[in-house]
Amino acid sequence: MSQTRAPRELQVIGLVFALAFAFPGLYLIWRNFTSGADPLGLLFTNQTLQPFWRTVRLAMLVSLSAACLGTALAWLTTRTDLPFGKLWRIVLPIPLVFPTFIGAAAFIRTLNPGGLANDFFGSIGINRTPELRGLLGAWLVLTLFCYPYVYLPVAARLRQLPGSLEQSALVLGDSLSRTFRRVVLPQISSSLTAGTLLVFLYTISDFGAVQLMRYDTLTRAIETNYLARPPTAFALSLILLVFAGLVVAAERSVNRRLPEVKTHRPHEAIKYELGRWKAPAILLVGGTFTFSFLAPVAALLDWAADGVLRTQRGGRPLTIDTSKVVEAAANTLSAGVITGIVALIAVVPIAILVGRYRDRIGRFTHSVVIATFAVPGILIALSLRFWTLRSGFLGDLLYDSMAILIFAYVVRFASLAMGIALVAVTTVADDLHDAAATLGADRWRRFRSIDLPVMRPGLLAAGGLVVLSTMKELPISLIVAPIGFPTLTTRIFGSFEEAFVAEAGIMALVLVFTSALLTWFLVLRRVDQL
Amino acid sequence: MLNRALPLILTLALFVAACGSDQFQIDASAAEIFPGECVDDTGEEVTIYSGRKENLIEPVLDAFTCATGVSVQVRWGSSTQLALLIDEEGNRSQADVFLSQSPGPVGFLESKGLLGTIDNNVLRLVSEDNRSSQGSWVGFSGRKRVLVHNIDLVAEAELPTSVFDLTDEKWKGKVAIPGTNGSFMDWFTVFRDQYGTDVATKWLNEMVANDARYYPNNRSIVEAAGRGEIEVGLVNHYYNYQEMVAAGDDHRAKNHDLDDDDIGSLLIITAATVLKSAKNSQAANDLLAYLLTAPVQSYFTNHTLEYPLAAGVEPNAALPPLTALEIGSVNFDALGGGFDETARIIEASGIQNQ
Repeated sequence: MSQTRAPRELQVIGLVFALAFAFPGLYLIWRNFTSGADPLGLLFTNQTLQPFWRTVRLAMLVSLSAACLGTALAWLTTRTDLPFGKLWRIVLPIPLVFPTFIGAAAFIRTLNPGGLANDFFGSIGINRTPELRGLLGAWLVLTLFCYPYVYLPVAARLRQLPGSLEQSALVLGDSLSRTFRRVVLPQISSSLTAGTLLVFLYTISDFGAVQLMRYDTLTRAIETNYLARPPTAFALSLILLVFAGLVVAAERSVNRRLPEVKTHRPHEAIKYELGRWKAPAILLVGGTFTFSFLAPVAALLDWAADGVLRTQRGGRPLTIDTSKVVEAAANTLSAGVITGIVALIAVVPIAILVGRYRDRIGRFTHSVVIATFAVPGILIALSLRFWTLRSGFLGDLLYDSMAILIFAYVVRFASLAMGIALVAVTTVADDLHDAAATLGADRWRRFRSIDLPVMRPGLLAAGGLVVLSTMKELPISLIVAPIGFPTLTTRIFGSFEEAFVAEAGIMALVLVFTSALLTWFLVLRRVDQL
Repeated sequence: MLNRALPLILTLALFVAACGSDQFQIDASAAEIFPGECVDDTGEEVTIYSGRKENLIEPVLDAFTCATGVSVQVRWGSSTQLALLIDEEGNRSQADVFLSQSPGPVGFLESKGLLGTIDNNVLRLVSEDNRSSQGSWVGFSGRKRVLVHNIDLVAEAELPTSVFDLTDEKWKGKVAIPGTNGSFMDWFTVFRDQYGTDVATKWLNEMVANDARYYPNNRSIVEAAGRGEIEVGLVNHYYNYQEMVAAGDDHRAKNHDLDDDDIGSLLIITAATVLKSAKNSQAANDLLAYLLTAPVQSYFTNHTLEYPLAAGVEPNAALPPLTALEIGSVNFDALGGGFDETARIIEASGIQNQ
């Protein structure tokens, strides 16, 4: 670890980013003051505590299961001779792109008469389908759609680790499971905790899945109160944000005690032969693929097919045409990719401040960025409207522009890239830096020729998380996007709300396949760290 | 090589295809509303924040542009979120017109003093019951509260005539309520306005004691009734028609009308408003007037199976006729102020955990 002080200009950049990312939080605090909200008074009432504990319980369960599932999938796809490796690398990140309101609906509606699961249950003689709801339903759906938050960073990390330690352990007679516990787990632990933190924060900010599964969390209480009792909604949101801040701080203090692993360059990782474990491994990966990808896609295909058949039989025609779908898909793809790139540019300096220089400003900025992930998207959207309307000339310039939309997406999702970027930064070995500095390479040159190549797998995984998440984002896309910039998610939402199920299904399928196209492209281009 | 290039080509193709022609054209469903030749662009424009979704109104807006040469810009969204946005933007909002899917968000904006006054000749197009006495909003279609029921689990003869029957032991654990849904909260506010807060609160608490089941919205109740997860549910009439169109005989639920004079038969209107800060208020009023013309009202009732409110258009034959009582005598203006209390009562009842 370099003990040098952080460069001044990097600290300034850190402060500017901290301010930019603090917009939603500052807005919330401001609104709490101006609306006469009483977050402290509200905190210890049943109205708050009951949904709060439900939120915590759900978030803990989802974090635990997503951490186990994500790690297992990452290990199997990177370290073993699992068949169809390339296929898994393309499809395993994709569940991230399902908006939870449509993902949960896919599971629920498939139980309807005429739905696929209902037909299946009927064919095996079960006439009453099970009711999917509550903690179980919310946990199931969120685990299935959130495990990529863990899978992507851990897989990126595993692919980068030197296999030498593991080999030594095995040669010295440790069993495979003991090697995993004592050698692999410590090396991936910082990626694992960073990813699990994202699952936790996403779960406490989710509205779509918990609403449809009728599990009454804080986000539902906030949503109901926006119009009826704005002060209550603002106070509850602030409680959520403060709680998120505490969780982030806790993760930081755990993470600081975890061992760091330095790398000189990407290694060819060792591969294990699965042998008699091949069948269970395929069952786990295939099972995850089936429930988090195939099942919802099949349900959506079913909706779409019903609509197309109905139209051909002369029933009510579909209300969308190809040009609208293509326009929305192009908007979704371009906004997602641009956001991914900008988020990386924003996050790397902060990660360097924290990871290399242990800079106080950097640590502060880092916590602000991560905690913001727990702020419901609608509040980020409103807060940006609030600030642009109050920033005079700059506001007029940005109002209703693409720039402000990308900025809002970055504020919402840069946190996804933060943890992984931080791990990537700490991976770069200091002696390389010192050697390069001795040889007279300036800072920028060192960054390009040493940091970037080593960090690349991590950064691509980080960017991938941001892109896929942006593509499914709803409230910001509705409120902040320039007028006349429909995305697939806004179209899906509009259709599904009014029960135009076939239209919603078609557009959700386009969303899934657009993102499949994107990951396929990255994997084929051999930037296959995804 | 092709393997590598193909995704890139496909991606580029998406972008290219997205930049099509910008000539104004209307599709078949818009031409049904306005069959004539499109008039030239007048250079006027109107900006709408629409809580009413694309699928229900886009052809109408296209027809308006075609018929008048006024171009239309729309921000789509949920009525609640758009109302919050307009409140946040204040008098600097781009919006000229706000279309709300239920009265609540309109009441919210009215209480904030953000709504302007609609021209009298537009207001007069609908009956007094379906417009604001202050001229701040006008209804343009309606959805009626009904009791949806699973036809295999509940015989028609057993169905009740009033929401007050549902607190009976006979319905224990069998009734679904969309407790925190916007239109239910609107309905409950009117309920309080009509019967007094005590009666309405007592009814809700008795429903909870009678194990009424919570669902987040009308659509999920209609689905649940369709798959026999719940016997009956309090919803608006619209969603069951949508499910029947989509699933046909597979869908095992039907709407049941409660008594005409029962609070459970209330008509919930979708409302149009012109904002106080509107920069194009003439075009905004023209648009509202267009929503109330016979072709558009017919479109609403025939395509989205809602109740028309103007131009003497009869409801689609599939809809049960409305009686005067259902619409009349409800003071929607009371909604805005009564919201806070409604939310408190509903939260305190515990319905959201049922």
